[in-house]
Amino acid sequence: MKISKKIIDNLKKGGVDFYLSVPCKLLANMIDILEKDNDVYYSAVPREEEGMGICAGAYLGNKFPCIMMQNTGIGNSVNAIVSLLQLYQMPVVFLISYRGTPGEPVGAQGGMAKITEDILQTLRIPMLHCSSENDLEKISTFSKHAKVVESPVAILCDFNLMKDDK
Amino acid sequence: MNRFDLLNKIQNILKDNLVICNIGLPSQELYKINDQPNFFYMLGSMGLSSSIGLGLSLSQNKNVVSIDGDGSVLMNMNTLATIGNRAPSNYTLLIIDNGSYGSTGDQRTFTDENTSLKDVAIGAGCKNVVECSGDETVNELSKAIDDQNNSYVIISKINSGNVKIDPIPINPITIRDRFRKFMGIVKYL
Repeated sequence: MKISKKIIDNLKKGGVDFYLSVPCKLLANMIDILEKDNDVYYSAVPREEEGMGICAGAYLGNKFPCIMMQNTGIGNSVNAIVSLLQLYQMPVVFLISYRGTPGEPVGAQGGMAKITEDILQTLRIPMLHCSSENDLEKISTFSKHAKVVESPVAILCDFNLMKDDK
Repeated sequence: MNRFDLLNKIQNILKDNLVICNIGLPSQELYKINDQPNFFYMLGSMGLSSSIGLGLSLSQNKNVVSIDGDGSVLMNMNTLATIGNRAPSNYTLLIIDNGSYGSTGDQRTFTDENTSLKDVAIGAGCKNVVECSGDETVNELSKAIDDQNNSYVIISKINSGNVKIDPIPINPITIRDRFRKFMGIVKYL
């Protein structure tokens, strides 16, 4: 819970006040925290691409949105990222559980893991890669950066960082 | 009645509300009929009009109308489940259902065969699902917007057919900023 709490605290410190998630077991603690938090909006959403649309609307309505998802969700959302969030220059934080990184028990997750950073790089999306607890301190500044550059940004949280967060 | 006729008929109802308009001909026709700063024209991301409108209605109190199409809703059908569980009372989804992909040459969609978006919306948990003719849409949309206690999904059954029209000449940042200026968020412009 300590890692998850730190991530949410830093996102909130960065001004994020609207959260969506497509679930992942590595995000479960964060979802629990957000469901009990009355200061921010939180909802589950069935698909990441749809979540990109809801985040765009939330930005138009003066919220600072974050969508939490597995890295697989980036694959589901490429067109929405490029032809909506980037076309209209909308700041949105992607909080990504980085499945398929070392520690991952499910071999099939390795495929998307191999290309996740390449996709983000191709999309020119700024990345913050969190592999240790110290990295989490950078999340608030990095989130604010999304607003300054009016762009979606991606925070990648490694499997091994999240897996023991009981 | 086709989409252009319907958009003409609902002009007056839209003018005080925040409108998210579907990509392609719906936005181009709306722009040609009466361009307004409170119209957010989608220039990409087919399928997401209902989702953008939902996010906007969850974030502030003004009335929001998402203008969508049958082809676009078929592409993002999970949106109806999210609306059915999360839509606030300031949200109205208007699905202009002409049974065809208008912007790509009027190919038939599945609503012209076996699929009923009304039944899907009800099954997905949406309240106040109304299916009506183009003529009835003016009244149904007015009622939906005026009702401060409920969200609505209106499926307006009309004929296919488009008006020959140019792409929208406004750049996306201008669309974004004048929309947010209308809302009082952007101070410049």
